[in-house]
Amino acid sequence: MSALPATVHTLKPPRVEIGPADESTQLHPAMNQASSAPEKPLYVRTRAPDWLPRVLAPFIGLALFVALWAIIARAGGRLPDPVSTWHSAVDVFSNPFYKKGPNDQGIGWNVLTSLGRVGIGFGLAALVGIPLGFMLGRFRFLSDMAAPIISILKPVSPLAWLPIGLMVFKAANPAAIYVIFVCSLWPMIVNTAVGVRHIPQDYLNVARVLNLSEWTIFRKILFPAVLPYMITGVRLSIGVAWLVIVAAEMLTGGVGIGFWVWDEWNNLNVQHIIIAIFTVGIVGLALEQGMILLARRFSYE
Amino acid sequence: MNEHRVARRKSAKRRDFLKRAGAAGIMSLVPAAVRSAAWAAGSDAPEKKEVKIGFIPLTDCSSVVMASVMEFDKKYGIKIVPSKEASWAAVRDKLVNGELDASHVLYGLIYGVQMGLGGPKKDMAILMNLNHNGQAFTLSRKLYDKGVKDGNTLAALIAKEKGEYTFAQTFPTGTHAMWIYYWLAAHGIHPFNDVKTITVPPPQMVANMRVGNMDGYCVGEPWPYRAIVDKIGFTANTTQDLWKDHPEKVLGTTAEFVEKYPNTTRAMTAAVIDAGRWIDASLSNRQKTAEVVADKSYVNTDKEVIVARMLGRYDNGIGKTWDDPNYMKFYNDGYVTFPFLSDGMWFMTQHRRWGLLKVDVDYLAVAKKVNRIDLYKDAAAATKTSLPQSPVRVARLMDGVVWDGKDPKKYAGSFKIKVA
Repeated sequence: MSALPATVHTLKPPRVEIGPADESTQLHPAMNQASSAPEKPLYVRTRAPDWLPRVLAPFIGLALFVALWAIIARAGGRLPDPVSTWHSAVDVFSNPFYKKGPNDQGIGWNVLTSLGRVGIGFGLAALVGIPLGFMLGRFRFLSDMAAPIISILKPVSPLAWLPIGLMVFKAANPAAIYVIFVCSLWPMIVNTAVGVRHIPQDYLNVARVLNLSEWTIFRKILFPAVLPYMITGVRLSIGVAWLVIVAAEMLTGGVGIGFWVWDEWNNLNVQHIIIAIFTVGIVGLALEQGMILLARRFSYE
Repeated sequence: MNEHRVARRKSAKRRDFLKRAGAAGIMSLVPAAVRSAAWAAGSDAPEKKEVKIGFIPLTDCSSVVMASVMEFDKKYGIKIVPSKEASWAAVRDKLVNGELDASHVLYGLIYGVQMGLGGPKKDMAILMNLNHNGQAFTLSRKLYDKGVKDGNTLAALIAKEKGEYTFAQTFPTGTHAMWIYYWLAAHGIHPFNDVKTITVPPPQMVANMRVGNMDGYCVGEPWPYRAIVDKIGFTANTTQDLWKDHPEKVLGTTAEFVEKYPNTTRAMTAAVIDAGRWIDASLSNRQKTAEVVADKSYVNTDKEVIVARMLGRYDNGIGKTWDDPNYMKFYNDGYVTFPFLSDGMWFMTQHRRWGLLKVDVDYLAVAKKVNRIDLYKDAAAATKTSLPQSPVRVARLMDGVVWDGKDPKKYAGSFKIKVA
């Protein structure tokens, strides 16, 4: 738990009125750029003057990566080269939504099915984890009570949960969703609790002087102050959930990007495995960017 | 063999006649027989119209797949939905929790679950045997470079050059585990003391053999041939060399499913028997089967990897080619599909031999409970498949030891190389 506040610091958006003042100076560069014009509408992205190198840099990075890949593939071994993988990818993505029986469906269906599982597991985790985080942050006793359990369960590998899920639910699909739920729960609880605990005592003192009710404290002080932390937790969680689903589906089978990878591995089709790796990565990136966008919309002015 | 078959056919005819003659008489006194007679007449419809049958992408899932593709299931009023599974462990879990109605599954796995060996314990049912033959013992190129060509030269190398030799199988209680243990032991190699034997999925076997971590494995086609195509290993022996016409995959389910849906059970067994007969009917049918199962929906591989050995054309990868009359069979006039009690008992004797089963059980009683010959006979009648004269058959394995199913306890304890 001690490492978490540091993560939170770097990811915290700045425009929280009542956030601790010292933190707004230690921003992540990406976040800084995103919010450099607070007087404009929140979701409009203003470009920094040094935009050209910033736009070019990712492309140069990608180009170097592909070049390195091509060199390694050329050097021998069984790694397919970028060009043949690209052709294969065009082939796979030219018809992403075909359905040929339950055992052969397009990659689009597989990704959507996996996203559906992630959505349910992650949604349930948010429903449980965020309120729990508030309670743990607000009440010291509860937090001390939960600390050992969370500390023990948090580092457990997602796949260790799968047999338990199978035992409890007696079905593969709920078991996979359960694994996502368990794994995405912890970042949300911990970050929300840390957020609540980091509210300056002054605010709470003022609240006490004004004799505010617990509900008003929650609405006017806790929630706005904690939101950035909470969103960080949600972002970490969705990353974890997406990581976990691929692993869980490899074991349970059925439709889904994880089993797609497994099936291609069964055929030792390395090109398709590489395509799946990129697909998983790009979808994960999209999820993360979506969360950042959401975070910006919900930041309090 | 031929004489046997003729005898079987004759006896089947006789039985058919008796059945027809007796249908109105004696048999109607027995409730179960009433049910089956009524079912045979088509008045007792399947309780569950759609059945989800699991399979692992291997050549021997063919009869289950073809029962669906060729619509043999329709004939019996059901729809078979083949469902590709991730691993044998996943098949076991989904069978036990009822997510799959039935599955293409390792013979020994069903007995492992029945007796709760290293996993869940549940009453299981074997409806029919799916195939004979068609697995192989693959050894690595690295061993070949050291002069290993077969079991004997392997044993000589292991005796001479101490080191860690790793062999792989697909599931602890499964058929491939029992084949490789038996094969190693038949050549004087103790599968646990002399070498390391591990359970891994087939692609990992190939990947490990490629980098030199794996010395040998036993698995079903197309993996043995795949090792030859990829030039990483060779076939030291086929499993039919170990035991001609050995049992392999079965159509397995739980006793609970059979209780609940007896008519559906009969219908799906009959459909898969029909599919097996169709596959075995001609070489062109076999060719077509290979093309169908190679599809992405099923085995997901190049059909060239499947088709040669499906037609009995073998190449061991180190210069020997031959036409094997004992290639993978799916029907063989009902000899393949019949769930022989002696086959079921054999797996238990091997579980006992290798210490998976800690004490002797009543082998015959367990086999009678698991292998549902009663239901099979109904399905055989519906498909006009001949029945063998006895539910016990005699086999002479590679080491010359005869298994006649008469004294399983003695047989299990008779091996020199064993655990405990």
